[in-house]
Amino acid sequence: MANLSIRSLGKTYPGGVSAVRDVDIKIQDGEFIVLVGPSGCGKSTILRMIAGLETITTGDLDIDGRRVNDLEPGDRDIAMVFQNYALYPHMTVRANMEYGLKNEGLPKDEIAERIAEASRTLRLSDYLDRKPRQLSGGQRQRVAMGRAIVRKPKVFLFDEPLSNLDAKLRTQLRAELKALHARLNGTFIYVTHDQVEAMSLADRIVIMSEGKIEQIGTPMDLYLRPATRFVAEFIGTPAMNFIDATVGSDGHSLQIGEQMIAADAPIHAPAGTLVSVGVRPEHLHRGQDHAMHVKLKTGFVEQLGADTIVHGEASTNGTASPLGVRLQGVHMPEPGSELQLGAALSDLHFFDTASGQRLNT
Amino acid sequence: MQKRVVYRSKLLPYLLVAPQIAITLIFFFWPSYQALESSFYVEDAFGFSRNWVGMQNYAELFADPGYLRSFRTTLIFSVSVAALTMSISLGLAVAANRVIRAATAYRTLLIWPYAVAPALAGVIWYFLMNPSLGIVAYWLKALGVNWNHYVNGDQALLLVIVAAAWKQISYNFLFFLAGLQSIPKSLIEAAAIDRASPARRFWTIVFPLLTPTTFFLLVINLVYAFFDTFALIHATTEGGPVDATSILVYRVYSTGFVGQDYGSSAAQSVVLMALVVGMTFIQFRYIERKVNY
Repeated sequence: MANLSIRSLGKTYPGGVSAVRDVDIKIQDGEFIVLVGPSGCGKSTILRMIAGLETITTGDLDIDGRRVNDLEPGDRDIAMVFQNYALYPHMTVRANMEYGLKNEGLPKDEIAERIAEASRTLRLSDYLDRKPRQLSGGQRQRVAMGRAIVRKPKVFLFDEPLSNLDAKLRTQLRAELKALHARLNGTFIYVTHDQVEAMSLADRIVIMSEGKIEQIGTPMDLYLRPATRFVAEFIGTPAMNFIDATVGSDGHSLQIGEQMIAADAPIHAPAGTLVSVGVRPEHLHRGQDHAMHVKLKTGFVEQLGADTIVHGEASTNGTASPLGVRLQGVHMPEPGSELQLGAALSDLHFFDTASGQRLNT
Repeated sequence: MQKRVVYRSKLLPYLLVAPQIAITLIFFFWPSYQALESSFYVEDAFGFSRNWVGMQNYAELFADPGYLRSFRTTLIFSVSVAALTMSISLGLAVAANRVIRAATAYRTLLIWPYAVAPALAGVIWYFLMNPSLGIVAYWLKALGVNWNHYVNGDQALLLVIVAAAWKQISYNFLFFLAGLQSIPKSLIEAAAIDRASPARRFWTIVFPLLTPTTFFLLVINLVYAFFDTFALIHATTEGGPVDATSILVYRVYSTGFVGQDYGSSAAQSVVLMALVVGMTFIQFRYIERKVNY
């Protein structure tokens, strides 16, 4: 149970490759933080710096107010779950979980008690004498978690722990992980490239791109008010649609093709600025009576049962751009046919095309 | 379902394996049979006549204290060679595995001795240790050790052990390095997070995971020490002084080609053959099961 303070953290590899720049995160005790971003964005590097597996080039890392930059991994009071589980293959499940406790020099009965408790929690009691290779992927993942929780660390670190599992198991373990967090009330820092995982697990999400933080916020902050176009595209499936526009001469309206939309709040950009108007596929609806409307030329249709996702091209506003819409229920639009769609003003996101920054507050 | 290649002609597959079969038959089975056959005869030195004596050659062998001493020498020799080679090469491999810059250059340098022929390896050490002109012998003298492997049997044995081990280090090093590199880095990292010191990490994680490699090398090294060291011993001590470095394979040679007692020599080679077959069988059959995790 601990809070973490990460101040202007940076990592530069020998040879000058900068993996992480100017990262500031304050993590509260008991928080579930998810670092998310595309591969190579530096999220794993940050996690490994917190663990002590990578040296910190610049900045400070405090755990519970104590600077730990120069401490060995074993002295930081953290536990980590690896992507490939990193179970010791020559040891039984019990020995895997005992290893860290023995190194700490805990008394035998204390060790036995902690292992009994953890294996009950993780439903591993029947497998304690098996070797990791005799277990399924999900079971191995639970052993890796068991090895972390018996240590009773201040901070739990997870490095894409579910990415080696199949989709169904992943959903199941996601729920177990969330329940585990509630029970342990520990500080969790979790790295993933899967935005669905991030959304469903996190108290707060740190979304990263190219070594820098794009936005920190609750999942709904990120969904409803993405700070940059990158965040807007990354969060939500199918991804947000973007339509080109320019800021009108009055500074209050947007010109989209032949269509003029009056924004409900001032747009913080001079007239003539190129703007990307973002609208999520689920916020487009059929019909004429919407603030912004667009015609979709139907292309590929995904029939998912509960929803129908229609991909195609936005055709009427002068510029042709790819567009997707999520319609509730079953629809069967003819390929090549046109759908009249629209969105409410409050569902539109405006981004500066050049900088990617959000313009409407 | 196993995929099988189907030949239209029935003869072709046999034709294709024929060279291999022929080589094995001519160069392995035929001499082996000859050895087995002559071990039951006593033959005169010029090959004019021979008499069937049954198991007499074997009986005499095991009554001969010299032969039994060769057994002991072979045991000391092979175990020492294996232990020395493996510990040094494991140390080198661990060190080389940590080197990041110029790693390939280090590795190449460490692999070079393998290109040296056994006899040459022996001669190199023979000169280094030569009591009158060897540099190492000179250093040893400075340290107060009176080195003379011409008269001191224990020192002669030590010399061939060192030379044989040195020759084999490169080979072992290569396998240990490959073994170390196949251990996922995350295991070591997990152990570091689990508060294991570097030494403890090595002995509780790395070393157990190397057991398949270690076991393989143990077999290879023992077989090497049993057979491939003949040239080395022949070029340096010639089995002497007296009998001190006559390992079993050297004795086969000295009894047969020097002593011209072909029957006994044949019997010895049959014993040696049985020994190695037995050893390999036991090792792979029983010990490998334990090291497999």
